[in-house]
Amino acid sequence: MPGVTSRLAAYSQVVLFFGAFLLFWEFGVRYFEVKSYILPPISAIAVAVWEARSEIFENSMYTLAEVLIGFGAAVVVGVMLGMVVYVSPFAQRTIYPLVTALQTTPKSALAPLMIVWFGYGFISKVAMAFLFAFFPIVVATLGGFAGTAKNLEEHFRALNAGPWRTFTTLRLPSALPSFIDGCRVAMPLAMIGAIIGELVGSERGLGNLIMLGTASTRTDLVFGCIIVITLISLALYALIEFAAKSVWWRGIQV
Amino acid sequence: MVSTATAEVPKSGKGLNVAAEPAVNHIEAQGLNKTFGSFKALEDIDFTINNQEFVSVLGPSGCGKSTLLRIVAGLIPYESGSATIKGEKVRAPRPDVGVVFQTNNMLPWLTVRRNVELGARIRNMPADARDAAVDKILDVLSLTKFADAHPHQLSGGMRQRASIGQALVLDPQILLMDEPFGALDALTRDKLNVELLRIWQESRKTVMLITHSIAEAVFLSDRVLVMADRPGKIVEEVTIDLPRPRNAATTRAMPKFGEYVAYLGKVMGVAS
Repeated sequence: MPGVTSRLAAYSQVVLFFGAFLLFWEFGVRYFEVKSYILPPISAIAVAVWEARSEIFENSMYTLAEVLIGFGAAVVVGVMLGMVVYVSPFAQRTIYPLVTALQTTPKSALAPLMIVWFGYGFISKVAMAFLFAFFPIVVATLGGFAGTAKNLEEHFRALNAGPWRTFTTLRLPSALPSFIDGCRVAMPLAMIGAIIGELVGSERGLGNLIMLGTASTRTDLVFGCIIVITLISLALYALIEFAAKSVWWRGIQV
Repeated sequence: MVSTATAEVPKSGKGLNVAAEPAVNHIEAQGLNKTFGSFKALEDIDFTINNQEFVSVLGPSGCGKSTLLRIVAGLIPYESGSATIKGEKVRAPRPDVGVVFQTNNMLPWLTVRRNVELGARIRNMPADARDAAVDKILDVLSLTKFADAHPHQLSGGMRQRASIGQALVLDPQILLMDEPFGALDALTRDKLNVELLRIWQESRKTVMLITHSIAEAVFLSDRVLVMADRPGKIVEEVTIDLPRPRNAATTRAMPKFGEYVAYLGKVMGVAS
């Protein structure tokens, strides 16, 4: 079975590469006598994560909640706005240029403002996750609707299909692949938004733990948090990829 | 009261009710004009297509023949003159008119069966009648085996057959076809011509077929309307006096078939 063999080979290459990388890190740091507050050996990071596991878990759940709620709100509001802009020429002339202009604002610059508005707690981080995730979703939703094939629209007109039927049977399925693409971009951005919010001012969360770790030169803990954040982001991305599988008609033209 | 047997249809078309007796002229255009901005697409188009007649509109690309079909289908408006179906002025797409376009209109995310029954669902046909109609059409088009496949798994010819099925599911009396085989290779096209002929000979619908293939027009039609471009107008009308039922082997081998093809080629300015 050549397929299995080659896949096995591909996996073993990945494992070997990362193994070599971690070994190089572990022994390179020791060999070159790098100060542990600059770059701790990977084993020290693992120990730090294990020792602080309940703290890291608790803060992870807190950050995860911020990300998911912010992302969910971005999906709901983004899809609604995308639809409004799609159906209303007025919104297309007024709201959409505004949205596009706001998209170019560096969202991280808004973090202090969010904390002034919503406080140090949960809500300001949700707002940050929302701000980061919102624009790609609006743009992707609108792009999806606008990309509905013209010949299919005419076909539906020839069948006297009403606006609701055309929406549910044609436009919605047409827009789904683009919408999922938007989610792919938006999900990691929501995590970035939440973490930036926590770094600027927070009482809990992985970003807060990073700040505490930095203040007490616990670089091992800081690295541990960064790794955990990356793993959570990867898991969320995998979730979107899984959902994307049900929209299998992406890119299929018949 | 206007007799549906005559070509005299009032411009207004209002208050006409021809449901009682079958209309003889199913599709009619009188002095039809259409412009896109300053571009004159159609000029003074006059023609009649009778009940159960198969008429092809033959013309070079860009002559406005697709525009003509879209006007008859009620998909785009026109400026002056009139287009009527069964004596009623065309204002919007009608349930008794099926349209087949050049690009197959399959929704990639639906199975062949769901694609074919789309029109029936949109027009709220009862489920059992719909299922029976779809079963029959899939059988007629030899697509039964592919009912649960998705469009991208089919060949181009099969997709186009399924598109014809989409139009046939409501059993329309009138079928408008806009170069339905234009995107297919010559061999598949010939095969589908034979199939279309068979379907038409069995169900006797009124057909208006837009094509730029002379052989296709001659093989299938009772009459051929030839269009010229800039502006689009009908320049010639040829009655195809070949015996029916026609079939692939004998009809195409008839000397008269070749004569019609040669003559239409000359009319269209193709060296033959």
